[in-house]
Amino acid sequence: MQPSQIKRSFLLYLLTAISLGAMAQGNFSPYSQMGIGDLEDGFYNRTTGLANTGIAYRSNRFLINNNPASFSDLANQYFTMETSLRGTFIGYKGTPVDIGSTQSADITFRRLAMGIKVSKHWGTSIGLVPYSTENYEFNVPYAIQGSGTEIANHFYSGHGSVNKAYWANSYEFFHHVSIGAEAGYIFGQLNQKDIIQAGNGATQVSTTNDVNLQNLYMTYGMQVYGNIGKHWSWGIGGTFSNKADLLASYNKLVLGADSSTLQNNELQQRYLSLPNSYGVGLSLTHNQHFTWVADYRYQDWNAVQAKNIYPGQDYSIASSERGSFGFEISKKKTFYNNKVELSYFQSGVYYGNSYLQINGQQIKDMGITAGFGVNSLKTPLAYAITFNYGIKGTTKNNLVRENYFNVNFLINYGAIWYTKGKKFE
Amino acid sequence: MTIHKYPRKKLLFLFSSLLAVFFLTSCQKQPTLRFGNLYTDDNNGSNVVVVDTSTVLVSTIYSDSTFTDGTGFLMAGTYKDPILGTVTSRAFFQITPPAGLPSLIPGINTYDSIGLVIFFKKNNPWYGDTTSLQNYVINQVDTAYQLSPPFLNGYFSNSDLRINPDKLGETGPIFIYPSRLDSAPLTSQGISDTIKIRLDQSLGQRLFNMVYSNSDSINNPTGFQNWFHGLCLSTDGIGTGGTGAIYGFKDTCLMRIYYRTAGVFAQQYIDFNITQKSLAFNSIRTNYDNTALKIIQKTTGYYGQTPQAYPSKATGNAGYIQPITGLNVRLRFPTIKSIALRPDYIGLLRATLTVRPVPDSWSTTWRLAPQIGVYTTDQNNLLGTPVPASGLSGAQTGGLVVDYFNPQNAAYTYDVTSFVKAIITNNATNSDSLGLILTVPPPNNVADFRRVVVADQSFQVNQRTTLSVYYISLFPHN
Repeated sequence: MQPSQIKRSFLLYLLTAISLGAMAQGNFSPYSQMGIGDLEDGFYNRTTGLANTGIAYRSNRFLINNNPASFSDLANQYFTMETSLRGTFIGYKGTPVDIGSTQSADITFRRLAMGIKVSKHWGTSIGLVPYSTENYEFNVPYAIQGSGTEIANHFYSGHGSVNKAYWANSYEFFHHVSIGAEAGYIFGQLNQKDIIQAGNGATQVSTTNDVNLQNLYMTYGMQVYGNIGKHWSWGIGGTFSNKADLLASYNKLVLGADSSTLQNNELQQRYLSLPNSYGVGLSLTHNQHFTWVADYRYQDWNAVQAKNIYPGQDYSIASSERGSFGFEISKKKTFYNNKVELSYFQSGVYYGNSYLQINGQQIKDMGITAGFGVNSLKTPLAYAITFNYGIKGTTKNNLVRENYFNVNFLINYGAIWYTKGKKFE
Repeated sequence: MTIHKYPRKKLLFLFSSLLAVFFLTSCQKQPTLRFGNLYTDDNNGSNVVVVDTSTVLVSTIYSDSTFTDGTGFLMAGTYKDPILGTVTSRAFFQITPPAGLPSLIPGINTYDSIGLVIFFKKNNPWYGDTTSLQNYVINQVDTAYQLSPPFLNGYFSNSDLRINPDKLGETGPIFIYPSRLDSAPLTSQGISDTIKIRLDQSLGQRLFNMVYSNSDSINNPTGFQNWFHGLCLSTDGIGTGGTGAIYGFKDTCLMRIYYRTAGVFAQQYIDFNITQKSLAFNSIRTNYDNTALKIIQKTTGYYGQTPQAYPSKATGNAGYIQPITGLNVRLRFPTIKSIALRPDYIGLLRATLTVRPVPDSWSTTWRLAPQIGVYTTDQNNLLGTPVPASGLSGAQTGGLVVDYFNPQNAAYTYDVTSFVKAIITNNATNSDSLGLILTVPPPNNVADFRRVVVADQSFQVNQRTTLSVYYISLFPHN
C-alpha cells in the first residue's frame, strides 16, 4: 500500500465518521423514541443481498462482519476496504399518520470497514458501523395546566445515533476452524427535544435531554467448515456478544423563548445494559457456485429489562429474535488454475421480532432481499447493489406500519499489501 | 507479471460520490405523524403552568386635581352618573378683539346684536345621556384671569374663577347629537356643528361703542383682558329629559358683534376670538354623595403629594378609573412571589393582566374608556413608567373588547411580563409595595369623562380582574 492510499483511506474514514453523525437527519422512525433507538439489523456488506445472513459465511475478498471469525478467510496479504450507503423509501400507514404526508426518503452512509490478512492464518478488520439511530418528530397539542381553555403544543423530536467502532481479529486452526473476537466501542449521543410552542408556532420554552452513551461491547465468533466430497462444502457458525453496561450521561438544558438558559443540569449517570446476544448460522455450497445460508439471532433483552431505565413510558423491552435465509449464485472463471469470481446474484428472506413491545404488540420486521454484484478484473474495485423490501410494525392498536424499500450500494476496494510496492495479478 | 496501474479516475469518482451523498443526506421530506405522545414521559420535559389565582388588590387612587388647561376642548355640562354621582364641568376662557377693528361712522353704522358661537365637532369628547335637553349659559368672569398665585402653575380641574352671577346669555333647551351622520346637523339649532348663544344687548352695545370711540381698552388686548377678564361656559344643571351630559366644544369659539351699515344689506360683524388657549381650562366638580365613593376625602393637597388609596372593599368592591376627575386604579399582587417558590418553578414565561369592568356598570350611555394604559407605581401611588409588552416598546392601551350582549366578556388585556419578572423574585424591602396603575393615557386623561369600574376579586372568577402568570415548570430530576 502506497502512502497516498493511506491518505485516501484516512479521508474516507473521516467522511464516514462525519456522515454517521448526519444519519440522524434521515427518515423518521416513530419507534426510535423508545429504548435506545432503532437497533441496526443490517451489516451492509456482501451478505446484505442474503437478508444479512452470514454467520457461517466466509469470503476471501469481502469483509463479513456478521461473524468476527470470518476474517481469517481473507486472501493472503490482501488489504480490503468497504463502504456502504443506503437509499431508503418509506411509506407510513396507520391511524397516527396524516394522510397528507405519508412518505419519506433519504440516503445515508451506513458503514466503513477495512481488513487485512496479517499472516497466513490471521485476519483482522476495523470498522465503523451504526448501532442504533433515533429520528422522530411529532406534535402533541395539550391544555396548559391551570387553564381550562388554553391550548399549546408540544413539539417532540429526537435525533442522534449510537455507533460502534470495532476491531476484530480471527485466527484459523487446522484449516477447518476459525475463532474470532471483536472489541467494539459503542458511543454516541441521543438528543431528545421538547419544544413548547404558542398558538402561532413561536417557541416558548425548549427542553433538551442529551444522553451520551459509551462502553465496550465484546463479540465472539467461531466458524467450522469443510468439504463433503468434491462438490459440496459446508459451514457452521456461531456468535456471542457479552452483555455490557453502557454508561449513560444525561444532560438537561432548558432554554426560554429568548434562548436564555433557565436550567442546565448534568444529571446522575446511569447504566443502560446491552444484553447477551446469540447467533447461529449454516452455509452449504455446491461447486463454489450455489450457496445456501441460514441464520438465527437472539438478544436476551428480558434479562436486562429490570436494570434499564429508558426514556418514555408505557412500552416495554422484550427479547428479540431474527431468522433469515439466503441463496447465492456465484459466477466464476478460472485463471491459471485459480477460480476468480466475476459476479454474483443473491436473494433472501427474513423475519424478526424487535426489542420493543408496545400496546401488547411486539414490533415485527420482515422482508425480502435481492442483490447483484460485479467484481472488476481490470481494477481493484468490486460493486454490489442490493434491493430490500420490508414491513416493520403494524397498524393494530393505534401503531404505525412502515413499508420500506432499501437500495444498498457496496463498494469494495482490494489490494495486495506487504509486497514492497509490487502488486501481482 | 505486471506492475498494477492504480485507477485514479475511479478513486476520484468514489470520493466525489461519497461527498455528494454526504450533502444529500439532508435533502428529504418527512411524513406528519401524531405518534408518540402516549409514550412520552410527561415529567421529563418542561411544561407551562398558568396560575391565575394570585391575589389582586384593587384600590382607587384619588388625586384632588388634574391639569385641565389647554386641553383643546371647552367641556361644559352636568350629568348624574348612577355610579360616580354628579359631575359638573364649566369651561373658562378668554377672548380678544381683532387686530384690525373697523372704523365706525356715526349715523352710518348702527349696532345690531351680540352672540357667542361655539362648535361641537364630530368626534369631540362627550359623555352622558344625549337625550337630555341642555341649556348652555354664558357668564362673564369677574376676576383677574392670569397666571399669578394661586394659579402660578396653571389651571387645574379644581381651579375656579369668580363669575358675575348675571347671565350674559343662554341657548335655551337644545339637543346635541354627537353620533349623527356627517350630513345632518349636530345640534337641534340646525346649523351644522355650530351653537349660537345670544348675549346681553347692553354688553354688545358697550363693546360697539368702544369700537366706535376707538377705546384704549379695545385697541389693546392686554387692556381688554384686564377689563373684560373672560367668559365661563356652563349649563344650568343636568337639563330635562335625561340624566345630563358633558360635551367638549372646540376651543375655537368666538364672540361676534353684528352691526349695520346704511345702504349695505350684507351681514357685518366684528369677531372676538378665543385667546391664550393654554389658559382655557375646565373646572370640574364631583359629588359622590350616595355613591360608593362617598368616603373619598377631597382635601386639597400640594402638587406631587402622595394620593390616597381607597381599597376596593371600601368602595363597593371595585376600583374606579376616570382620571379627569382624579380617579385611577392601583393594583398590587401580594402573593405573586409564592409562585417562584414552587418546587417546579424554573422561570417566568409571560404574565397577562385581564382587567374586567363590573358588568352592569357600563352601557351605551355610560361608555367604557376605549383605552386604559398600565403604568408602574410604588408606595407613593404616583404614576410611573408605562409597562411595555414583551419585545415591544411604548405604552399598552388594553385592546378593549366590548360585548354589549355579554357584558361580562368586556375586558382590557395587558402583557405585564416585564413587570412580573421584576417583582416575582425581587427580595428588596420595598418590593411588596410595587404595583400597577391603570389610567387613561394622554391626552384623553384630561379631556374625556369615559370611565371604567374595575371588578375586584369579590366577583366570580370570569368577571374579576385577574393576573395570569405563565411559568415554566420542571420538576427536579436526579
